[in-house]
This record gives sequence, C-alpha cells and structure tokens, in this order.
Amino acid sequence: MSDIYIICVEDEPQVLDVIVRDLAALEEVFPIELAHSADEARELIKEIKEDGHKIGLALCDHIMPGDNGIDLMIEMQKDSFTENTRKVLVTGQAGLEDTIQAVNKARLNRYIAKPWDPKDLLEIVKDELTQYVIREEKELLRFMAVLDQERIQEAIRTKGYV
Amino acid sequence: MPENKNLSKEQSPNVIGASARPVYDKSNFVKTIKDEIPNSLLLKSLKKVFNEGEVMLSEKDVNDRLYIILDGYVAQVKEDEDTGTQIGMHGPGDFIGLLSFQTGEPVFTTAKASTKVVSLCFDHHSFEVFMNEYPQISKTLQGLIFSNLADRYRKVVMLHVEVANLSRQLEEERNHLKQIIRELERTRNALISQEKMATLGELTAGLAHEINNPASALLRSVEYLSENLPAMAERASALPDTGLVRYFFEAGAQREFTDTSTHRSRMKELKTIYPELSRTMLRTMAEMDAVVFEKLKSFMGSSKNQPLLQLLLDAYQSGIFLNGIKLSTSRIEYLVKSLKSYSRQGGKDPEVSDIRQGIRETLQIIGNRLKDIKVETEMEDVCLVNCFVGELNQVWTNIIINACDAMEDKGALGISCKADKERGLISITITDTGPGVPDKIKTRIFDSSFSTKTAGGDFGLGIGLAITKTVVEKHHGSIEVKDREGGGAMFVITLPAAR
Repeated sequence: MSDIYIICVEDEPQVLDVIVRDLAALEEVFPIELAHSADEARELIKEIKEDGHKIGLALCDHIMPGDNGIDLMIEMQKDSFTENTRKVLVTGQAGLEDTIQAVNKARLNRYIAKPWDPKDLLEIVKDELTQYVIREEKELLRFMAVLDQERIQEAIRTKGYV
Repeated sequence: MPENKNLSKEQSPNVIGASARPVYDKSNFVKTIKDEIPNSLLLKSLKKVFNEGEVMLSEKDVNDRLYIILDGYVAQVKEDEDTGTQIGMHGPGDFIGLLSFQTGEPVFTTAKASTKVVSLCFDHHSFEVFMNEYPQISKTLQGLIFSNLADRYRKVVMLHVEVANLSRQLEEERNHLKQIIRELERTRNALISQEKMATLGELTAGLAHEINNPASALLRSVEYLSENLPAMAERASALPDTGLVRYFFEAGAQREFTDTSTHRSRMKELKTIYPELSRTMLRTMAEMDAVVFEKLKSFMGSSKNQPLLQLLLDAYQSGIFLNGIKLSTSRIEYLVKSLKSYSRQGGKDPEVSDIRQGIRETLQIIGNRLKDIKVETEMEDVCLVNCFVGELNQVWTNIIINACDAMEDKGALGISCKADKERGLISITITDTGPGVPDKIKTRIFDSSFSTKTAGGDFGLGIGLAITKTVVEKHHGSIEVKDREGGGAMFVITLPAAR
C-alpha cells in the first residue's frame, strides 16, 4: 500500500527540527520528509513519486534561498502528481501580493504565521489531511486513529464503503 | 558734473547763474580757450594731441602736468591686480591730473584717451604764466577746478551713503539667505527621517521574518524540553550510569547538519535494519554521526531494550533542541542589537565609530534580502570615522538595497573597506553584479528629482541616493558611481578618517 507523505520545506534547520517534533503524533500514519530548499523539495517529490507513494500535505516556508515557497507551490499545483496535495504556507512574513499569488495560483489551503501554536498547527494539519484522504482515498479506516474521526466516519457512511 | 540747461550763457561769459554756488559752463570755457588759441603763442605751444588708446597718465607715476581736455574723451581707469576698472569718463572742459599736479602725490588713476584727444598741457611754470596772461580765463579755470573738487567731494559723500545703503541691503539679503538655509536644513532633515522611516518600514517587514524564524524554534524547543526533561531525568536516574544520558545529550548539542537527501537515505537504510522502530526514532538515529551511532548500537543489542534506546534518543534530541535554543537566542539577540544600533538617532555631536560595525549590522538587518546573494566582504582595516552612525547606516542600507533591486535579488555583492593612513581617508566600495548604471544617468542618479522607481510601488520616496549623497557630504565625504569590472555598478564612498 502506498504511503501518504507530509513534506516540510524550510531553510532553517532549527525550525525544521521543531516542526517535525510538533507533527510526530501523525508520523506513524503519515511519514514526514524534510527539505531545506525548493530544489531539495523537487528532488524529494521525485523520490516519493518514484517509490510509488503520495504527498498529502506540503508545509512550506516562503522566504528561502533559491526559489521561494510560493514558487514551489505554484509548481506543485501545475504538476498532476502534487495538484491535490494540501498546501500550507508557514511563514514569518509574506507580503499581501505574494499571498494573493499563493491563493490564486497555488490554491493555497492554509496560512500559518510563525511563531505558531503547536495545537493549532496540529489541528490545521489534521484538518487538511482529513480533507485530503476523504477526497483521494478509498480505504479510510486506517486514518481514524490520527485524523478527525467524526468526519471520516461520516465519509465512510456516505461513500458506502469501508 | 550735471549741467544746468536752464541757465542762459548770456548772463555772464564764464560764470553763470546767481545762485549761492556759481555753476561754471565747461563748453563756454572750452570755446573761450579755443577762440584764444590762434592768437596766443603760449596756448599754441601748450596744445597736445593724444591718439585713441594712448595713455596720458599712468597710475602711481609722479605727475607735473595738468591737462585740460578741449576735444575728445578720456577714460579714467583704476588698475586692479590683473584687470582695470573704468571708473569714469571725461570730456571737453574736464581736467586730467588735477590732484597729482596740485598735491605732488602719485597719480591715483590712469588716464587713457578713449578717442582722439586734443588738450592743453600745463606744467607748473606754464600754468603760472597762463594765469598771469589770461586772468579772466583763469578765474573761470579756478572756478572750474574748485567745482571739480567740490564735485568729487560730493561724489565721495554720495558714495558713502550708497555704500551704507548697499551694506544694509546686503545685511538684509544675508539674513534672508540664512533663514532660507535654515529652512532647507529643516526640510532636508525631515526628508532624511521620512526616508529613514520608509526604509525602516521595509526593513521591519523583513525583520519580522528574520526574528520569527528563530523565535519559532526557540519557543517550540523550550516547550519540548520543559515537557520532556523531568521525565527524562527520572528515567535516567534508574540507570546505573547516568553519564550515558549526558553523553548523548552533549552529542545532540553538537550535531552537525546533513543535507536532507543524505539524511533520507540513511533513514531508509536504518528502516531496513530496524523495521520495528518508529520513524521518529529512526529520524533521530539518522542524525547521528558514526561514532555516536556505534555507541548507540552497543546499547541496542537486538533492539529489545526499547525504553533505554528511547531514553538515549530523547537525550540526543534534547541536546539538539538545547543547541537550537542557544543558536536562536543569540540570533535574536544579535538582530535586536543590530536594529537598536542601526536605528540609533545619535546625539547632536558625531562620535568616533568603526564603520565596519555599521556595515555588518546593516547586512544583518537586511539579511532576508541577501538570502540568494553571495556577499563578499573585504574589511580587514580598522576604519574609524567621526560620524553619525545612524545616518551612515542609512547610506549602506540605501546602496545595498539598490544593489539588491538592480540584481533582482540574485548575484554577488562586494563590500570593501580600506583605510588610507597617509591621506587620512577611508574608502568604502560596494559593487553588485546587476546591469550597472548607464553612463548617461551616472551624473543624475544622486539628484533628488531622479528615480527609476515608480511612484507608489515602493516604500521609499525614491530619493534614497540623493539622501545618501547628502549624508555623505555632511560627513565631508564624497560618493561616486562607476562601472564594476566585469559588469555591474560600483559605488565608491570616501570619508575622512577620524584623527
């Protein structure tokens, strides 16, 4: 069975360390992978694709050396492999124009301001992943343990399969 | 001397008018003499003709001649250091050399024939003879001489009055100018602080990012540690050797970063060896270098002792977070310090400061603009300048931000500071690899009316370089823009070194 990955793109190693920690509760169901730049992220996405897995969610910083986070997300939106990946911007600063771009062109789903509250982060990530699996996955039972149980149960009922 | 046209020549041949001060008619006087010349050997012998441009009297010479102009005009010239100033023009009936002839003082002004001049030229002897032979004409002559002197005196008095008037006007002008300069200074200061606020606005947006990153790491690391340390300590106390926990804690604090793809392949590798371990555990293990990992392996055995393994991994992870706290704290501290010193208004008096410090702070503060720019600094010399630190920092900011704009945030930024001890000068060179400044606008980019930035699109007023120049000049320095070798712009700022 293919895995659904969470990828985190962030140029500051210390920030990456703490994001991974905050999401650890999801890791057994949704493996987390990291990238320090848009280039590393491209390589990572390629690898995940080649291994036959999926990417359910991308958490992305905006200002990074090389291409910025929004450029990367727009690119992901254009690629059918990552088109349906939930996209979350985690940033200390993105101008209005950048954010508008991200919403319009990258179908940005969420915006998390740094520094974040870990509960909010986890809630947002769970919420986004719940939407992702309901839309993309047939076998939903295995996500019950870590995601929004009520909505998944509801989805199982309406879809009519387990 | 003004002639009174209303007076009739018939009243008296030479002395006209019955007012308190007789007015002598020069043309009548000249005519009388001219009429007399054909009949007088003396007068004939005294007749002297000058050609146009001929010098009749030279300034500073001793003079024993008195000329009466009968025809033509004579220019009176006061010689300055290199050029002459014409101070008067004399015509028929006027005297040349009167003062020096009478007093024996050196000639005061040079007399030069402006046209062909016909004159009578007396020396002291012939003057005496003339006075005796023509008592009637002499009377007029004396009157004219007196009138001439009186006229000169009047002119001097008028001149004094005029000078006084002019001085007063000058004084008024000067006060007016002073006021204008004060207003200009106020306007300039207002503009400087306006532009400074605009730059600061731009900077704080970037700073938010710069500070929020370490702040996130800091907050989250502290929370993690405060949640886990107590339990860890408890678990560690159950171990026979607590030094072990310390070892992994310290190893974590000294962890070095590997790139994510190496880390990923290590994780995959570990996963095949220890499929029963969680990804979180594997991730931490993949961070370890060979020595630390060997040590860990010796405690893993068949990895049945998971609680111990978890404890050691937690210790390692805690070390990572502790180091993160240290790094983040010092980064925030440095940023705040830089900002404080950067935006320092400074007192009324300049202070001696090493400008390299200001440049480093500026680079730190606009760091988020420089993420994709290779910054090469060459700042070995100590560069002490008597300056207003905050204002000079704005200079560096303006030029560096301009460079970033020009390079569209990709390229290389070069900064060098050199101290020329012999000439007492500090020169700062800032280069970029952008398109450079076209020759035809090189001279204009420091004008306040010149901007390539479009209105409204930027935070600043687009007068950054004009202000930059003002600030540099306030520090008695100069700024110029050149071409960087290999393309791009090069700004050179020269400042006097502090003594």
